[in-house]
Amino acid sequence: MTTPSESATALAIDVRGLRKSYGDKVAVESLDMQVVAGTVVGFLGPNGAGKTTVIRILSTLLAPDRGTFAVASVSSSNPVEIRRRIGVLPESAGYPPAQTSEEWLCYHAQLFGASRTAARETALRLLAEVGLADRSRSRIANLSRGMRQRLGIARALVNDPSVVFLDEPTLGLDPRGQQQVLDLVARIAGEHSVTVVLSTHTLAEVEQVCSRVMILNRGRLVADGTVAEVVRSAAAPRSGVLVVPAELRQRAIAVLAAQRIPATAASRPDEIGLTLPVDATIEQSSTAALNTLLAADVPVLGLAFEGGRLSDAFLAVTEGANDD
Amino acid sequence: MTDMTVRSTPAVSPALVVAGRELRDLWLSARGLALMLVYTAVLSITTYLVASNQELNFLEQREAVGLIVQTAVAVGALLVVLGAADSLSGERERGSLESLLLTPSPRGAVIVGKGAAALSLWLVAYALAIPYIWWLGRDVDTFGVAAVSGFVVGSLLALFLTGVGLLISAFSRSNAASLSVSFLVLLALYVPHQMPAEAMRGWVGELLLRLDPFTSGLLFLDRLIVHEHTAGQEIGLLVAPIVAAIALPAAAVVAAGRLTLLGRGRS
Repeated sequence: MTTPSESATALAIDVRGLRKSYGDKVAVESLDMQVVAGTVVGFLGPNGAGKTTVIRILSTLLAPDRGTFAVASVSSSNPVEIRRRIGVLPESAGYPPAQTSEEWLCYHAQLFGASRTAARETALRLLAEVGLADRSRSRIANLSRGMRQRLGIARALVNDPSVVFLDEPTLGLDPRGQQQVLDLVARIAGEHSVTVVLSTHTLAEVEQVCSRVMILNRGRLVADGTVAEVVRSAAAPRSGVLVVPAELRQRAIAVLAAQRIPATAASRPDEIGLTLPVDATIEQSSTAALNTLLAADVPVLGLAFEGGRLSDAFLAVTEGANDD
Repeated sequence: MTDMTVRSTPAVSPALVVAGRELRDLWLSARGLALMLVYTAVLSITTYLVASNQELNFLEQREAVGLIVQTAVAVGALLVVLGAADSLSGERERGSLESLLLTPSPRGAVIVGKGAAALSLWLVAYALAIPYIWWLGRDVDTFGVAAVSGFVVGSLLALFLTGVGLLISAFSRSNAASLSVSFLVLLALYVPHQMPAEAMRGWVGELLLRLDPFTSGLLFLDRLIVHEHTAGQEIGLLVAPIVAAIALPAAAVVAAGRLTLLGRGRS
């Protein structure tokens, strides 16, 4: 077995056997995760799944009970060096209302070692990058929530990090604000060539900007891969719609049911809704349905399939998550 | 990467950066000025009362000077301990501590910077007290002794109480708890000074007087200003304030390594 430090050259994040508990409650259990540099990862999970705990451990704010990790090729035994190389937008980050955007960014840039002049240059560049150039002298108290989140993202970039953790960056934002933040995430991932870990509950965001998805449930990684891979591996239900002559619809449903192909009447009189078996491909399922109907002399006028959705996969792999 | 990134040696000491930010936040906002307004109000009322008592011959002029210096030191100490107690737990409660802890700056430097801002409350407060001390002591040639001894004792107690406030703040989950506990600690330290002289006789009373930095510091002021003793005669009373002024801030810096959010990850 390789150690994190041995295999970390191409990995932005390498976690082995991580465990963290709060008293009797286990927040993270035997977590292994590897993220290749340059990836935008959607970090998903229901409330209490352990996402924030994992982010806080990886950003060295919390010590794990067990396990090792490396972030940006730096071992967990060197937390100060890890902090130099990461940027974090914490969940529910607080901002000093009396400071201006520029002052706040300058302050943090200086805490990362920049001179006053370099800190100011960095602050102005980042404010322009997140669309707040004209608000550099505005007190943070006068910024909208969306602007503050963008300011928080600028703060996360103040040290030019190689790994960025964004914990619920779109929480509480209106759709326009959410879109601005997502565009920003996609842009910084591209322009800064950073690895981004995006923790969110909004699955559409993940499908929009993430090249990889990790789903955490009760402290364990239960799904990991591209959106398509996760949907497939999670055996998320898929559906299809068959179009048949309206007068033959009931017969078609009966014929399909006889072959154990779940079919129901759809809203339009000539449509039949199909629920595809999770263990079969779309090709297998469509062939079976078509053959059954053609054998029964029911003409098929149309056929469309809907691939599994990430939300379905999420629900499938986190089933019962909020039961306790 | 830009030239400012991933530097192992910061361009400016993180303690200075934090101190500069904290000082601006304290003095350019209404907070510091409001505290000084309250402080000068307390001093003005105390000065008026002791001055009118002098006219009625209830107080010797030296006693009046001693009283105003002790008041300046005691209220200044209160401001310092509350300022220090708010520094970390306040940030924790406002959600801004996490961003600070995510920087590579040593935790000890953060503590030192915040402690410097709390100490500035004492320095400004004592500067405001000087005219009052001068006014009351102008006829008895005691201004110099009173001003210098008040500054020395007050500074030692301010250092001590900064350490106390920072320690309590570092490990308090809520700001209200931090402020309450710090205030109670200050009250407890003040108790021996307020006890009747009879109660403080004997070796237990003497030990308590000398072990409590607050009481022994105020007693030192009383002996120098009112009883005209020399500093050399009463230097023993400064041992506890000196030890406390070194030990508590040092303990706060050491404990800074254990500074955390004190909360659990939420999702």
